[in-house]
Amino acid sequence: MAPDSGLFPEGPLLKLIPLDTRDRGTQRCRLGPAAFHALGAHLGSAVKISLPDGGSCLCTAWPRRDGADGFVQLDPQCASPGAAARAPGSAGSLSLSHLRLVPCPPLRRLTVWPELREQDGSPGALNPTAVLEAAQELLRNRPVSQGHVVAAPPRAPGPVAALHIVSGVPSPDPAGLVTPHTSISLSGVAPTEAQPQPQPEVPLGGLSEAADSLRELLRLPLLYPRALAALGLAVPRGVLLVGPPGVGKTQLVRAVVREAGAELLAVSAPALQGTRPGETEENVRRVFQRAQELASRSPTLLFLDEVDVLCPRRGGPHQAPESRVVAQVLTLLDGIGGDREVVVVGSTNRPDALDPALRRPGRFDREVVIGTPTFKQRKEILQVITSKMPISSQVDLSLLAEMTVGYVGADLTALCREAAMHALLNSEKNQDNPMIAETDFLEAFKKIQPSSFRSVIGLMDIKPVGWEQIGGLEDVKLKLKQSIEWPLKFPGEFVRMGLTQPKGVLLYGPPGCAKTTLVRALATSCHCSFVSVSGADLFSPFVGDSEKVLSQVFRQARANTPAIVFLDEIDSILGSRSISKTGCNVQESILSVLLNELDGVGLKTIERRGSKSDQQGKYKELKKSEELEFQEVFSRNVMIVAATNRPDVLDDALLRPGRLDKIIYIPPPDEKGRLSILKVCTKNMPLGPDVSLEYLAAETCFFSGADLGNLCKEAALLALQEDGLEATTVKQKHFLKSLKTVKPSLSHKDLTLYKNLFQKQGFSNLEDI
Amino acid sequence: MTQGQPLLAVQEALKKCFPVVEEQQGLWQSTLRDCQPLLTSLSNLAEQLQAAQNLRFEDVPSLRSFPDLKERLRRKQLEAGDTVLDKLEESLATLLKVRDTVSSHVEQVLQIYEQHADTISIDAVLQASVVSPSVADMLEWLQDIERHYRSSYLKRKYLLSSIQWEDLANIQALPKAWDRISEDEHEDLVQDILLNVSFFLEE
Repeated sequence: MAPDSGLFPEGPLLKLIPLDTRDRGTQRCRLGPAAFHALGAHLGSAVKISLPDGGSCLCTAWPRRDGADGFVQLDPQCASPGAAARAPGSAGSLSLSHLRLVPCPPLRRLTVWPELREQDGSPGALNPTAVLEAAQELLRNRPVSQGHVVAAPPRAPGPVAALHIVSGVPSPDPAGLVTPHTSISLSGVAPTEAQPQPQPEVPLGGLSEAADSLRELLRLPLLYPRALAALGLAVPRGVLLVGPPGVGKTQLVRAVVREAGAELLAVSAPALQGTRPGETEENVRRVFQRAQELASRSPTLLFLDEVDVLCPRRGGPHQAPESRVVAQVLTLLDGIGGDREVVVVGSTNRPDALDPALRRPGRFDREVVIGTPTFKQRKEILQVITSKMPISSQVDLSLLAEMTVGYVGADLTALCREAAMHALLNSEKNQDNPMIAETDFLEAFKKIQPSSFRSVIGLMDIKPVGWEQIGGLEDVKLKLKQSIEWPLKFPGEFVRMGLTQPKGVLLYGPPGCAKTTLVRALATSCHCSFVSVSGADLFSPFVGDSEKVLSQVFRQARANTPAIVFLDEIDSILGSRSISKTGCNVQESILSVLLNELDGVGLKTIERRGSKSDQQGKYKELKKSEELEFQEVFSRNVMIVAATNRPDVLDDALLRPGRLDKIIYIPPPDEKGRLSILKVCTKNMPLGPDVSLEYLAAETCFFSGADLGNLCKEAALLALQEDGLEATTVKQKHFLKSLKTVKPSLSHKDLTLYKNLFQKQGFSNLEDI
Repeated sequence: MTQGQPLLAVQEALKKCFPVVEEQQGLWQSTLRDCQPLLTSLSNLAEQLQAAQNLRFEDVPSLRSFPDLKERLRRKQLEAGDTVLDKLEESLATLLKVRDTVSSHVEQVLQIYEQHADTISIDAVLQASVVSPSVADMLEWLQDIERHYRSSYLKRKYLLSSIQWEDLANIQALPKAWDRISEDEHEDLVQDILLNVSFFLEE
């Protein structure tokens, strides 16, 4: 064990490794023999160590058991405030020059400020002698340093949690030893915190408005106690956070609390439920009492998560136990009166289920609605999340934000995590510094589905269809693109021309003419949420249920804008007030719901999204991000697309501009259209050289798109039937033969009906067939 | 060896100190053993008190002729409890004495080392042989032993001071809590250390 005495000059690096369990609470610092030599220390001499993160701690030097050099372990029991909490023996390295041997004279007198443990049962005043005794026990034979905090081991009994060393004689700076003869006295006032550590700015993407309102509540009484007293104001004490799951309600509260340096008592309401009668009330009382105790020391925020479980609406049958709990919460909220510091924050995603008595000033004074993040907010959130990730410069966050319609904060976090994982797993070449590229995000995008979308009614997984896969109908496609795609893609131009986005589009035409396929192509081409509702989703045997479902569809679509709601066969879903006059039935009430949703007075307050200034459409002031702002305005809409083949039975009110303001006739295909349809249909078919699609197109008058598809299918089957299973091509004769059996589904009478209807309504661009 | 003399002095002090620790450890253990039945009887008393509280005396016909039976019974039980508590107090005082004795001896040894610290080189302190552990280790062990007694005593004192006759459930759980302290505090620590130094003491 010969020490290498040539090692010590400018301090070799010592590796900081975690402490052995047996050394915990001993204030020892384990060093190798070389370090002992370098410091000139002997056993148990006091060593002051400056930690890498800026703090310092005072330890006694002891040799390592195994006599190895180059390591240091330390027990930060006596350390500068906060140092112990931050990194107790976490890995790192120290230079030997960070260690300093300090003289440690015995102290005659010492003044400490005790930090008391939170008492479980009795909050009553503690006996000072008991505290003094505990302090003496804790400090006995320890070297201490002025300004340091001596922490009691976490599981030890006694009223003292930590002792701040205030002063002593002789001054314990840099160190002094407490002996049995040191007289210890308690100081009444807390030592002034040298400087509250600058808290890292809590990144909260897109929640600044909600955060401001919470921050104000917490900080006002702290910053201006006199002014508030002079005004005779009672500070508001309650906030209700409303929003769908995952938007960051809990996160927001935590961030604000951390920022304000307040104490947070977070309770989830379901955890308070007890099995015995009265147990829940007892739990609630205990929580509030605990908050009160905490508040007597520092400003405190009591956070009740999922408060709707605790306080459901009273008054229903069999709800006596619940009403007792609600009453208990109400009285406790009122009873906080004396202490202004307890701010109660409740969070819920079903504010309507709360008892109305809870939502008055004095209980929950304010209600902050946090909606699903808008495009701009999503971008901010993404910026926050990715700020610490190695993102390649090609990643366009705006594009990502545009793609992630309906994603809440939690989903975006999941997305980024998935992308990072993907980058890590798939790039073998640079494991050490992986770079997250755009492709990683796109991969992750496939896996992560927005949580707000998981329970939506009628959400569709659409098989992507391109515009070019639909034969003919060029001007219909153009019109559809005009009214739906353009507003989403070129919002700036629309605003410049003073155009507003159409609310709804009605597609009508004879059956089998690709109305549904057109909508599918539409959903594919514009990246937005696509919700399809059919009669099966809506109708239910319960009175009022269908209307509720429809309005829920719209509410969810609004939460995920831009969105398209597709109502196929709208004539069967809705009745018409103008035609059938049979009084009240379900279809009529659905119609009225739809009319209201399309062109109602406004939105419900709980559906609010984004900040208020945005909603009032003040996009002129914002020159810098104008393009985004336009997008904001336009992407806030829900567009409805309806399809029917019986437009005559629809209600007049539905067809007026402002509701279904664009009415597009989808005609049966003309000759050119039929040719392109046939081309599309026979793309995957081995056609014989003699087949003339032009001839077929001319022959198939009154055939709809579906009929043409059927014709091709029949012809192919016929080929198999005639030439046996080894048939290789479909010949013209098969087509001609099947043409004889397949009859067109349209007739001249039908078409004139559509034509007449059309003319009656005064439009004039019906295509000739 | 010029520095052999002070090192010998420290070793001498250590040799004197460990037997004292051994002796005190015996006393400590026997005191703890004595406490066990006391705590059990205290917990039994608590159970009796609880039972008496739950009983409605006026409902039992044969007891109705003794009107103040309930109060008398309670007073008697509490008296018995106080007696037990007094005995526990005595045991606690013994434990305190053990602690203080060990503390003062350990302190003396450390002081002797402090006096000679500058003359003893660190290598000599770290030198261990087959039969004797290094002086550094032994000093460390002494500190460990002292701290062990200290915290163990403190925990027991807080436990006993938490006894309140209103909280009967707490008293019934006392024997378990007492045992848990022993488990938490590695009761064998002192014994293990004494075994480690046994050859050194015989030298």
